[in-house]
Amino acid sequence: MRSPLRFERRLRQPKWLSLAVPAGSLLAALVLGAVVLLVTGRNPLSTYHRILERAFASQSSLSGTLISATPLAFTGLCAAVAFRMGIINIGGEGQLFGGAILASWAGIALGDQPVWIVLVAMLAAGAVGGMTVALIAGVLRARFGANEIITTLMLNYIVAIFLDYLIFNSKSYWREPKSFGFPKGKQVGPAAFWSPITIGHTAIPRGFIVAVLAGVVVSVLYRTTRFGFEVAVIADSPGTARYAGMRTTRKIIAVMALSGALAGLGGASDVGDFRHVLDAKGLQLAGYGYTGIVVAALARLNPLGTVLVAVLIGGLTNAGYALQGPDFPSGLVGALQGLILFTAVAGEVLVRYRVRRAVPAPVSAAAAGPPTPPVRAGA
Amino acid sequence: MSTADPAQAVAAGGEPTEHPGSPPAAAVRMSGIVKRFPGVVANDGVDFAAALGEVHALLGENGAGKSTLSNILTGLYRPDEGRIELDGRAVHFDSPRDALAAGIGMVHQHFRLVPTFTVAENVALADPHGIGRRQVRHLRQELAAMGAHYGLAVDPDARVWQLSVGEQQRVELLKALHRGARVLILDEPTAVLTPQEADALFVTLRAMVAEGRTVVFISHKLHEVKAVSDRVTVLRHGRTVGTVDTASCTTTDLARLMVGRDVVFRRAERAHPVDPAAAPLMRVRGVSAVNHRGQPAVRQAGFELRPGEILGVAGVAGNGQRELAEAITGMRRPTAGSIEVGGSPVRLGSVRAAHAAGIAHVPEDRLHTGLAPSLSIASNVVLTAYRRPPASRGPFLDRGYIRRHATELMSRFDVRAPGPDTPVRLLSGGNVQKVLLGREFASDPKVLVAASPTRGLDVGAIETVRRLLVQAADEGRGVLLISEDLEEILALSDRVLVLYEGRIVGDVPAADATAERLGLLMGGGAVSRDVG
Amino acid sequence: MNHNLFVVIAASAIFYGTPLFFAALGELLTERSGVLNLGVEGMMLIGALFGSWASQHVGGPSWFVVLASVLIGALAAAVLAAMYAVLAITLRVNQTVAGLALTIFAGGVGLSSYLANSWHVALRPTPHPIRKLDVLGLADTPVLGPLLFNHTMLTYVSWVLAAVGWFYLFHSRTGLRLRAVGESPQTADAMGISVAGYRYAHTILGGALAGVGGVFYSLAIVPTWVDGMTKGAGWIAIALVIFGFWRPELTLAGAYLFGALSSLSLILKARNVHINGSILDALPFLATIVVLVVMSSGSMRRRLGAPAALGVPYQREER
Repeated sequence: MRSPLRFERRLRQPKWLSLAVPAGSLLAALVLGAVVLLVTGRNPLSTYHRILERAFASQSSLSGTLISATPLAFTGLCAAVAFRMGIINIGGEGQLFGGAILASWAGIALGDQPVWIVLVAMLAAGAVGGMTVALIAGVLRARFGANEIITTLMLNYIVAIFLDYLIFNSKSYWREPKSFGFPKGKQVGPAAFWSPITIGHTAIPRGFIVAVLAGVVVSVLYRTTRFGFEVAVIADSPGTARYAGMRTTRKIIAVMALSGALAGLGGASDVGDFRHVLDAKGLQLAGYGYTGIVVAALARLNPLGTVLVAVLIGGLTNAGYALQGPDFPSGLVGALQGLILFTAVAGEVLVRYRVRRAVPAPVSAAAAGPPTPPVRAGA
Repeated sequence: MSTADPAQAVAAGGEPTEHPGSPPAAAVRMSGIVKRFPGVVANDGVDFAAALGEVHALLGENGAGKSTLSNILTGLYRPDEGRIELDGRAVHFDSPRDALAAGIGMVHQHFRLVPTFTVAENVALADPHGIGRRQVRHLRQELAAMGAHYGLAVDPDARVWQLSVGEQQRVELLKALHRGARVLILDEPTAVLTPQEADALFVTLRAMVAEGRTVVFISHKLHEVKAVSDRVTVLRHGRTVGTVDTASCTTTDLARLMVGRDVVFRRAERAHPVDPAAAPLMRVRGVSAVNHRGQPAVRQAGFELRPGEILGVAGVAGNGQRELAEAITGMRRPTAGSIEVGGSPVRLGSVRAAHAAGIAHVPEDRLHTGLAPSLSIASNVVLTAYRRPPASRGPFLDRGYIRRHATELMSRFDVRAPGPDTPVRLLSGGNVQKVLLGREFASDPKVLVAASPTRGLDVGAIETVRRLLVQAADEGRGVLLISEDLEEILALSDRVLVLYEGRIVGDVPAADATAERLGLLMGGGAVSRDVG
Repeated sequence: MNHNLFVVIAASAIFYGTPLFFAALGELLTERSGVLNLGVEGMMLIGALFGSWASQHVGGPSWFVVLASVLIGALAAAVLAAMYAVLAITLRVNQTVAGLALTIFAGGVGLSSYLANSWHVALRPTPHPIRKLDVLGLADTPVLGPLLFNHTMLTYVSWVLAAVGWFYLFHSRTGLRLRAVGESPQTADAMGISVAGYRYAHTILGGALAGVGGVFYSLAIVPTWVDGMTKGAGWIAIALVIFGFWRPELTLAGAYLFGALSSLSLILKARNVHINGSILDALPFLATIVVLVVMSSGSMRRRLGAPAALGVPYQREER
């Protein structure tokens, strides 16, 4: 089986590619998505138009988009910091839940303290929550070599079940005792509502500002510090890292802790900026963790790019919520995000290789005449 | 013959004959072969013809295009231009399957064996018949018979990973014979053998050509080519230089053809002789270590390295060289023993401790252990120094200093690259090694452990690297040169240790070291006699 | 409920283990060729969806509808696997991320949910569920009946597949070549074996089997469509391959162990045993982690038998 295409390793990676590839990926995903839409009898252009309108057209929709973008920026950073060292942490989901659990606890317990104290406490609690979940997988990987892809994924399910347990299956601190009918979570105190910062008519969630700061910190950490240097070497060549005396195990644990903490901050922001309650069902339906991987991949693991892409994908998510209904079934946004990830991965090929049509080996002039019966297998 | 004339040299087709020398029929003829890779023309109009019943050597230095040519003949690569004929018939290989069916067999330098399979399973892999019990019994009998006939005995039920490298090579030969290969290509087959094992291989090859098979023997080692081949085709820079009868020329002629000028690696000239009375720089005592499977790999190794000394460590691949180097450089924790540098003990199993004690390491597998290939030259030159000033201040790297430092090293060691930001993987093998050596020299080490430092380099780069090693010794450093290339060991060392099954079985001064003597020790032949 | 607890658990272990085994066997074959496809969950869901859709729209006798549903589910998942194969084998992209992309694309909040909503698959239960058979009228035999003679057709098929898979891998020439492709693609290539061909074939076959596993959820276990109904079974299947040392027969045993864990909460609830349901629900996932840690540590690791080239794209003309 011979491929009609040939891949030649690029000797140099032109700079324009690092912008063109994500843009091209996005476009290709939209084209593929259009195919899906057409097959299911929908008009792709009007659908995309509606998405765009709902995501970015007005200032109120932009506010909604930023609300959706904030957790994605955090889970995107969570994926990016780990992937950059070759640690495939796909547990952003569970780590975000962990952050939400502890942050909502802080919000409920300290709800009548001064606003800034509560904000800092919730952020700290969220980071610790996410870090704790991530460290389980990190330690198992560092200590026993257990594949982090599977462990982080299993932890997503386990923490989700724990979340359900807290709200539906127990009389926990998080559950509203006075609710009738369907069980729900206890609302955080008034000081734990993170009031957005309004510029013009656009409300910028405080969490989003924290996300931008986090993006800057991660960017500085990875570009200018010894830690970042070690991460780059370990990612490129674990053998060489060992040769240089770098302590890989510790680095795995540190990176997992950082990664989980970032996702946990996303959980805190979900509670503080948005829901103000530990919403077991809502968090699970949102799928922030998995979308974060899409965000990070499309941003090519660049921390600041991740925050930027989160706004883009957040717009898609936001429009998905707003439009959901009989003529805009749920699942469409998820499918589009999956397609974006697909095309983003495929786009990486164009960064690394130049794709050429394979030309069959031309026979020299002497042999160009009627082909002498070539010796072939089985002939 | 002093000049090569391709027109005269490339044998024309003629009557079939069993005798080399007279114009033989071409069992294989490749003409005008061109193969391009991104940035490289690996074969640029190569002509090559091997006759029935001859051992035909393909000689050329690294990068001359030998492997590419053989990969084309075995159907792995498709040529961009050119024509291949077998027994006068044009053939066209789309895949290795076609080449196999046409009777072409190849023993690659890196064996194409499945390590977890048994010998019989490996042979059966390309077998057109089934693998039922009956066929397997049949196969066993056949392997035993072939083993006896050609001197290739090997247990058919052994797993390949358990075999020695020499035995694995036998499996490769058996595989080709089992498929009835008429043309057999061997790529650098002696690289993993002792001189004695190589001689045995030559006998086997002669037995094969006596039956009318054709053997294409790829090598860059002149004396081997001289010893085994009937004719030689020389490649240089992807082109055919010429084809000559082996008997009609000397190794010096061959060397000139291969390199295009007179190059003979003589024993390196040294500025100062080693002072035997000087206090040793490094003292290794009773060091034992296990390999990655947990089996003992180094047993009770002990030796002293004096200032200004190049101490060669010879041995067939897989006799504990890697583990010894790793134990000394802190990459592997020894199970026993001690190491002292400059009189004070070194904490074992710590790369940082070894480095702090002044031990620098030029590892065997440069691109996977030693350099981060996707990172820039600048990043790679501070791979060990990044922790301390001036490369870093507190937790932050000083990028400006690092780039300046890299630029300076690049000019000092003549690294050819567009700039310090160039990723190392884009450099040629010689420049890669210069980056590595430059970095290690920059740390001003007392001891330099260099494992196969010239493997895979072209002649120019080999000269440079050897010059740097000699220079290091002349500056009073100790150099531990671990190499499977006996010529290199003999050319550089003041003293030679021989490793066999993890033991140091010989400690021979340069004056007494000959290829024969070392070869015997490397094969474990004189264990009792030579242990000092 | 006259059977003793052991028989009940064993019987439902087989029932709940069957889809896990189909998916795990598919992933096993894929991984044996050296391709790591983390999209099992997505492929199972697409299989489940198309199976459910087919059982509502295909006409004919019940056995025919079920057969058609299984095949259509398998086919749909195989198409996804083929998409993945293009990325992983021809384009040689990072297999981990591509597999994740497949699961996100097709998964519980992706394409499978979108199509189900577009086609209104979720609104009614399937008219032709996969039923347990009464083989030779022996279903009511004590102990042996529920264990051997009272399963769905797919369960019996899975037993045959376990045996066939074992023979194929270890006693057939194609199997030998498949293993060579996964262990050392360079060797296989030099032997004239088409590395890409074997990888494509087994990745697509693996997808089809995952699809069958998915159909089992929407036609036998639930039996209707629910968004995200496989609830992580695809990931457990991937862990099962490791658990089974990449051998079909051991993977079957592992699937039944996890089947038992999955069914435990239902059985105990039915028997009024009071254990907090959440712990039981989390059990399969906790067990997966425990198994993975045990399998990864120290001495076990050496005997693992993971194909040496697993997840590594093969490229011939590399210089």
